[in-house]
Amino acid sequence: MSDTRIAKRRGLLGRLYHGETAIDFYGRRRYGFLFSGILVIVTLVSLLTSGLNLGIDFEGGVAWQVPASSTFGTDEARAVVEENGVEVANAKVQTLKSGDVESIRIQVGDQTTEVRSAVQAALAEAAGVDVNDVSVSSVSSSWGRSITEKAVRALVVFLVLVSIYIAWRFEWRMAVAAIAAMLHDVLISVGIYSVFRFEVTPATVVAFLTILGFSLYDTIVVFDKVQDNIERFAATRTGMADITNVSMNQVLMRSLNTSLAAVLPVISLLVLGSGVFGAVALREFAVALLVGLSIGSYSSIFVASPLLAVLKEREPRFKNLRGLHSTGPELEHMVVTGTSSGLKNVRRQVQADEQTAPSANVTPGALLTHPPRPRKKRRR
Amino acid sequence: MTRRRLALTLFGLLVVVFGSLAGNLVAGNEPSLGLDLQGGVSVTQEPVGDYNSESLDLAVERIRERVDSLGVAEPEIIRQGDAIVVNLPGVDNQDEAIKLVQVTGAVLLRPVLLSQVIDTADSVVDDGSSTTTAATDGEATSTTSTTSTMAATSSTTLPGGPSRPAAVTTLPTETTTTPDTSVVEASSTTTSVVTTDAPTGTEAPTTDVTLPADMPDPTDPSATVFVQNADGTEFYQLGPAFATGEVFNNDAQADIISGGWGVRVTLRGGATGADLWNSGAARCFAKDASCPSGRMAIVLDGVVQSAPSVNQPSFTGGVDITGSFSEGEAKDLARVLKSGALPVRLQVQAVQTVSPTLGSDSLRAAIISGLIGVALVLLFMLLYYRSLAAIVVVGLLISGVIQWNVISLLSSTNGLALSLAGIAGIIVSIGVTVDSYVVFFEKLKDEVKSGRTLRNSAERGFKSAWRTILAADIVSLLGAFTLWYLSVGSVRGFAFFLGLSTLCDMIVAWFFTRPTMLLLARSEFIARRRVFGVDSSALAPGGAA
Repeated sequence: MSDTRIAKRRGLLGRLYHGETAIDFYGRRRYGFLFSGILVIVTLVSLLTSGLNLGIDFEGGVAWQVPASSTFGTDEARAVVEENGVEVANAKVQTLKSGDVESIRIQVGDQTTEVRSAVQAALAEAAGVDVNDVSVSSVSSSWGRSITEKAVRALVVFLVLVSIYIAWRFEWRMAVAAIAAMLHDVLISVGIYSVFRFEVTPATVVAFLTILGFSLYDTIVVFDKVQDNIERFAATRTGMADITNVSMNQVLMRSLNTSLAAVLPVISLLVLGSGVFGAVALREFAVALLVGLSIGSYSSIFVASPLLAVLKEREPRFKNLRGLHSTGPELEHMVVTGTSSGLKNVRRQVQADEQTAPSANVTPGALLTHPPRPRKKRRR
Repeated sequence: MTRRRLALTLFGLLVVVFGSLAGNLVAGNEPSLGLDLQGGVSVTQEPVGDYNSESLDLAVERIRERVDSLGVAEPEIIRQGDAIVVNLPGVDNQDEAIKLVQVTGAVLLRPVLLSQVIDTADSVVDDGSSTTTAATDGEATSTTSTTSTMAATSSTTLPGGPSRPAAVTTLPTETTTTPDTSVVEASSTTTSVVTTDAPTGTEAPTTDVTLPADMPDPTDPSATVFVQNADGTEFYQLGPAFATGEVFNNDAQADIISGGWGVRVTLRGGATGADLWNSGAARCFAKDASCPSGRMAIVLDGVVQSAPSVNQPSFTGGVDITGSFSEGEAKDLARVLKSGALPVRLQVQAVQTVSPTLGSDSLRAAIISGLIGVALVLLFMLLYYRSLAAIVVVGLLISGVIQWNVISLLSSTNGLALSLAGIAGIIVSIGVTVDSYVVFFEKLKDEVKSGRTLRNSAERGFKSAWRTILAADIVSLLGAFTLWYLSVGSVRGFAFFLGLSTLCDMIVAWFFTRPTMLLLARSEFIARRRVFGVDSSALAPGGAA
């Protein structure tokens, strides 16, 4: 039997390394859908109930940032701002910690230039620091709105272009699955900002866009493999479930590698950059990226591909193969050899009793009506 | 692909990449740092109401000139759609910055009280006897009483005006103190007075102009001001403006008028247009007390663009400005008039002060953590692909050098600045670059496993990996271009660096990885498969094994 060679099992890592895993991703697709569904629902609920904590760049307003000291805390800062005639009822006052330096950030609505500098001077005096150590940011609310609008418009245009491109380069089902997985990733990343009340800054938007790009990139690499396998198995009676499973197992290591390569610098940015060196500007960015990149790799395997399989199974040529898919050694055989599993074909032959019955111990190659590809012939 | 061609490709890439690196180093180009890394003030302005593109362009140019005259190192002035973003690294006074960048493109029409050609070629400093002679014209007396005097010839920098090198210009009549331009009625509307190019022996004011101790703001329309022309060759004392550029229609154009380049523009009708212009023109034509020289200066943001003499008292319909213009000068003047006809009103939309300490900390943190991140990735590659990791290292190095080259070059030519978002984008792109190698190596492994020779596997593996890389990178490029084109601010910066690093990924894959791997796969030395981290015992049994 052809199984003798494969029977020489390696450990899990070894099989991963050699791309010989036989995980039934398709059969477990419902777990993935369930997990993603829960995350998406949590995100939507959070977005609808508490919304996003938008920074001044989107809402408009003025923010001062002052170094804190033992005698100058949030209450003092709030008092100083109020003394200058600024409404502080809706002000966001927060303490930012970066390394061993603490600073206080006070964010209020639109103010005039005079008020802006007056408060800056007053804060500097109260905190006992130089005026230039107090940094001020101000964004008019109309500008904030237009930034948001432009970003949304850019996003819509991008999605349309990418959909067209994928539909042209691959097929429309892949475009649907890829965009769905990407929306899933971005939605969940946004959800984290909503649930944990992180402030959304332009850097965050940059992070979301990176996630979006990475998610699509990763999904496309996986789909490329799927398409490869669809062609490879074209001459055999192999269901979409099997093709998906085989592709997933074959790209699993590559996906893990790539995710690690993408995530390692981000972890370094997060742990070292914002943790050890205390660059606050980096922290939110890194958090968003870390979550987004991980979700992006997860979704190309657990969301995009099963979704594609489900979509493709509606196609006539895969329709009657629905519900039949290999697991265990059969799947492993297909993953390793890249050819249809003999065992399964045998089983199917018996079940369907369609053709002149080959004997049970027929080699898989003999089952093919014709060799699928010249190069396979060469291999034997 | 012959071995020779592959080697040539590889050699060519290395020559180009490291050659341009050397070029950049020799030229002293290096990446300039964005505001968030250096500290400074960023002001974003957007036009409100009606304006035309000329006025916005001119506003940007004027902002650039002002910022340059201030000597801010590496300022960044970017037009993003209609918005103008001015980043001033190292500037910490917000109010000063806001004042600096608020220009309108508004044009004032002022009568010339006195004028003088600045002749820096012979640096004759007038002696004391001739420095207070401004009163010879009688009309400047209002200022002389409270003035300290200075000879204009000894001063090329004027308070309030931009400091420009007093370059010798191409104006043919500059050596005389006579005006070189004149205003006549547009011949298209009436048949009227034609003027001479260089009316000699007319007004010619004295050679010295007196400066008051406290210089009035040169852009104040109601004051008597002292300004220079655009190339610093002539110096003027101008009376209060009697009109703005809005007396003209938005249709100024350079044209050949009576044999030479000039500017033709039509007047708006009614009290705010032709009437206003004619009252001023009449006074200048009559050379009365408010316009003794008979010349009318067209002033943009405190700089005289042209000071033609008025050759007729009243105009109907249009105005021709003629003189010894070159084609370029005429077009510039037309642009100024167009801008003045519909000046842009810029509104400050966002001001951000970034304290430099935060900036330098962020920079150091980003660089160190980025390097450590790369090191971790390489370590992982080394563990996973063993000696093949050497190719990843060199590939990343080349990609890094290309990016450094491009950023350095654009920093010095286009004022590109590396921002925090950009650095982060580059760090993230490391993942994508490495992925190209992972995709390639995995395909290579597949091919070797299915029993092909190394040489064959490398070729086939690259072919199919290239397809994948291309498909995935094009999505990234699409994203980068869309974002760059349609968005503003840091998103735009990020998009640029994302696009750049994606392009680098493709360049490195095609021009470095491909020839290197194909050559290696052919060489005898590397024929042992273990080198590729591929276990030959993993040979697939195949369907019929």
